[in-house]
Amino acid sequence: MNEVLLPTLVVLSTLLAGAALVAVLDQAVAGMIAGRPVRGLLSATFARGMLLWLRPDSTTEHPDALLWRLAPAAYLVLAALGLAVVPWSADFVPVRLPTGVVLWGAVEALATVVIFLEGWAPNAPLPLLGGYRHVAAGLSYILVSMFVLIGVALPAESLSFDAVIDSQQDLWNVVRQPLGLPLFLVVGLGIGVWGPLRFADAADLAGGTTAETSGPRRLAWALGRGAMLVAFSAVAASAFFGGWLGPWLPGPMWLLLKMLLVLVLLVVIGRLLARMAPERFVGLAWLLLLPLSFVDLLWAGLLALYG
Amino acid sequence: MSWIDLAFYVLAGIAVVSGWRVFRTDSMVRASFLLLLSFLAVGAVMLLLGAVYLGVALFFMMAVEMLVMALFMVMFMMNPAGLNPMNMVHQPRVAAAAGVIAFAALAGMALVADFPERRPAAGTDVVRALGTELLGDSMLVFESAGVALLATMIGVVVLSARTGRFGPSDEGSCPPGLDPGGLPAGAPSGGEDGSGHGHHHHH
Repeated sequence: MNEVLLPTLVVLSTLLAGAALVAVLDQAVAGMIAGRPVRGLLSATFARGMLLWLRPDSTTEHPDALLWRLAPAAYLVLAALGLAVVPWSADFVPVRLPTGVVLWGAVEALATVVIFLEGWAPNAPLPLLGGYRHVAAGLSYILVSMFVLIGVALPAESLSFDAVIDSQQDLWNVVRQPLGLPLFLVVGLGIGVWGPLRFADAADLAGGTTAETSGPRRLAWALGRGAMLVAFSAVAASAFFGGWLGPWLPGPMWLLLKMLLVLVLLVVIGRLLARMAPERFVGLAWLLLLPLSFVDLLWAGLLALYG
Repeated sequence: MSWIDLAFYVLAGIAVVSGWRVFRTDSMVRASFLLLLSFLAVGAVMLLLGAVYLGVALFFMMAVEMLVMALFMVMFMMNPAGLNPMNMVHQPRVAAAAGVIAFAALAGMALVADFPERRPAAGTDVVRALGTELLGDSMLVFESAGVALLATMIGVVVLSARTGRFGPSDEGSCPPGLDPGGLPAGAPSGGEDGSGHGHHHHH
């Protein structure tokens, strides 16, 4: 029983606590940038969450009610799936999958589907526009992510996160493959609908995918975005910062510290960079980021062969 | 019945029921994502069979594929945004016959075929074995399929691009009328007048 219960508890509590932490971090960074005093953020975040929770549920004309309820839940489930394949130490991996890296690729693709469905379900124009915008962005960054992840798997000669971490004993991938992390961070912003890539539920669409959603489902969606960033941070920490590897502290502590580093990076980027126009991002992704990811893969391959 | 058997029956049920619903639903988007659900269940069954790469790759491929399919179907159809109900079945009799024949053939093959009794050793690295197969003995087939797919993709992009080989694709094209025989949505009715009117309102 312990084999099932403990990993489940670890994954779920990390996701929920992490999602709350992301909300607090985001407000703290925003306050620091604006020069406001940052105090009482924990209670303010809690109050905002409760406000979302307690607002009356609203509906639209002929929505796809089932899908509308399922989409936020599926988003959370995908975040949990992604986090579950990340090792916390040599011995403790919630789900030890030999193809964990590919599973994370599937999580990215399915998250795009879920974000689209969240926009499609209410049967209303603004959510639908948000959904389509995200599909365009998603199809553009998923390819970039694929090549970056193959680059990470090359020196490990394996698709499991255990081997990927093990291959970074001497040198972290963030140094060995300098293009990898910047490209992968773009993917993180996309999959968490965050900062410059916040196309789906953006303010310029009056809330986009969430324009018609309120009540618990709205809170679940906000939690899902934070949880997805947490899952992404665990994957990025394992792929580029050596995961649980590190001296003195136990493995899980190192993983948490590195996850925090990635989360801070994402939140700061999210607050410093303005949202791009979606069509400009699509152009940038196909014309610059995708060729850069080819270079990253070529670099990783040559290094694996002759390095 | 072990939990693996139970999982198999549940997943097989999901795959069959959602596959059936693809043809009973009235929307392109729903049909695409019901098909995705069916494929996800099949991928999970493959995981149960120990095909850790093929199962997970199926999740990945089908998610992107169905997303692209839904997006492009909606883009190329006159049905605005895939929201209007429409019949998802064409030539139902032929399709039903083809389906029954294909199912009978495959099921018959599964029952009659003489499958080899080679059980892999406990520690077999199936991912590595699959990779060796794809880039070893089966490389010609695998690479031919890859190149054919790439050529198809380039061809589709060339044909559907605005500046494709047949010239600007939106030249002379016209959306359908809002009413039967009426003016199309967003048409420059009376040329200058329409756009001038629009400008006026933008102040």
